[in-house]
Amino acid sequence: MNKREAAMRRLQSAKFALWEMHLYLDTHPEDLESIAAYKKYEAKYVLLLNEFEENYGAVTQFAPGVAWLKNPWPWESEVCD
Amino acid sequence: MFSYEKMLQYPVRIKNPNPKYAQIIISQYGGPDGELGASLRYLSQRFAMPYPELKGLLTDIGTEELGHLEMIGAIVYQLTRNLSYDEIKKSGFDAYFTDHTTGVYPTAASGFPFTAASMQSKGDLIADLTEDLAAEQKARVTYDNILRLVDDPDVREPIKFLREREIVHFQRFGEGLRLATDRLDSKNYYICNPSFDDNCGCSCEK
Repeated sequence: MNKREAAMRRLQSAKFALWEMHLYLDTHPEDLESIAAYKKYEAKYVLLLNEFEENYGAVTQFAPGVAWLKNPWPWESEVCD
Repeated sequence: MFSYEKMLQYPVRIKNPNPKYAQIIISQYGGPDGELGASLRYLSQRFAMPYPELKGLLTDIGTEELGHLEMIGAIVYQLTRNLSYDEIKKSGFDAYFTDHTTGVYPTAASGFPFTAASMQSKGDLIADLTEDLAAEQKARVTYDNILRLVDDPDVREPIKFLREREIVHFQRFGEGLRLATDRLDSKNYYICNPSFDDNCGCSCEK
């Protein structure tokens, strides 16, 4: 696994924790402990997202052009590239 | 509106192509209990949902299913790279290949193309949420069946992740159904439809 892939794994883990809390809060909207956990994961995700985008190109659609178009795309395995 | 994030929800990194596996797994792209049907089902049903938690839940799970559709597409794409004519013929992938080459097309494993006939949007929250609970279980069984047929750990890992998501969604839909019935007439949930009738429960609740 190269450095980019390792950074993507960290980003995916952080995003997953954030998303899981999001779904939980749909059916438990006033659970204060979960809201606090969501905020904690969100801060971590934003940090990792900024770090990834600085080093390897865009993930979100707010950086059009070269950064957005950079390979690989998510469905491309880097195993054989 | 929707926007795209250039990342998969869970990594897909398959070393060995296998067209036989691709033709099984494509069913979760366009089959009767697949991810395309799941996202269309939830994203369509949400318009008739009367309560904020349920509008949120259907929007969020429908959106996550689009991410799962992308993961299945990535799995099929990676399983069909660099195939020889011999592998295509021997694996039985030749029928798919004739119509789609190695393009990713929404179809069931049987070859039946994607159809909205396997989903429903009934405009009634109990009917819709009950369908959603069943849909998650049917998708879970499909993933269990795929896991019975597939040995490669590179393929099994993302499939196991997707299987677990069906179970989490089932849990959330169960909670959603409970939140809904808690707001209906406990003597008769079916006395009226809060998605359609006026003065039925708290359909105007903000």
